[in-house]
Amino acid sequence: MGLNWNKDKSVVLSQVCIAVFALCLLALDIGAYRLASWFVQLRLHDWRLGALLMVSIYSGSVLAWLCLYRLWKLLGNVRRGELFVPENVRCMRVVSWCCALAAGICALSALYYPPFLFVAVAAGFMALIVRIVKNAFEQAIAMKDELDLTV
Amino acid sequence: MEILVNLDVMMAKRKISGGELAERVGITPANLSILKTGKAKAIRFSTLMALCHELQCQPGDILEFKE
Repeated sequence: MGLNWNKDKSVVLSQVCIAVFALCLLALDIGAYRLASWFVQLRLHDWRLGALLMVSIYSGSVLAWLCLYRLWKLLGNVRRGELFVPENVRCMRVVSWCCALAAGICALSALYYPPFLFVAVAAGFMALIVRIVKNAFEQAIAMKDELDLTV
Repeated sequence: MEILVNLDVMMAKRKISGGELAERVGITPANLSILKTGKAKAIRFSTLMALCHELQCQPGDILEFKE
């Protein structure tokens, strides 16, 4: 391949994606009020819905920041070649719980804005996937420990 | 119930140091230390064979089963 693509560049690309997501999240945090105002206009000027949307956005935002921070840390470890270490499992556990909690928030938010239900299902599915990968990593760490202590 | 490693006993009997045995067997002194201290989770047949060869003993002289 002309671009001389390698594993390290792939990790860098993932980190760039995280940075892009972080910027989008920052934009959402800054523009949440405007988004809520627009939503209120759309929904027959019911200010309570706007307030609820703000609560949903900011509570989800906290989880998203935590998730992005842990993913950044995880990729940093991968870049250093520290793949099967307990810290990575901890990162994945946090990411999984963040997704699960976000799914819960979205499910509750679906009570006032039903399309949030799709986001809830997606976040729940993501939590499940990350959890399964985390379980596989835990097993891999145990196997690596055994291999390291084989003389 | 455990497997005891009596490597230090055999080394003392044969009057051989850890560093020398590790070099002759072809493992690192760190790995020999893991074996001696009982931290090892497994031992390869090739390592056991080399240890028995260098110490002129049987596997049972190095490893012991304890209830």
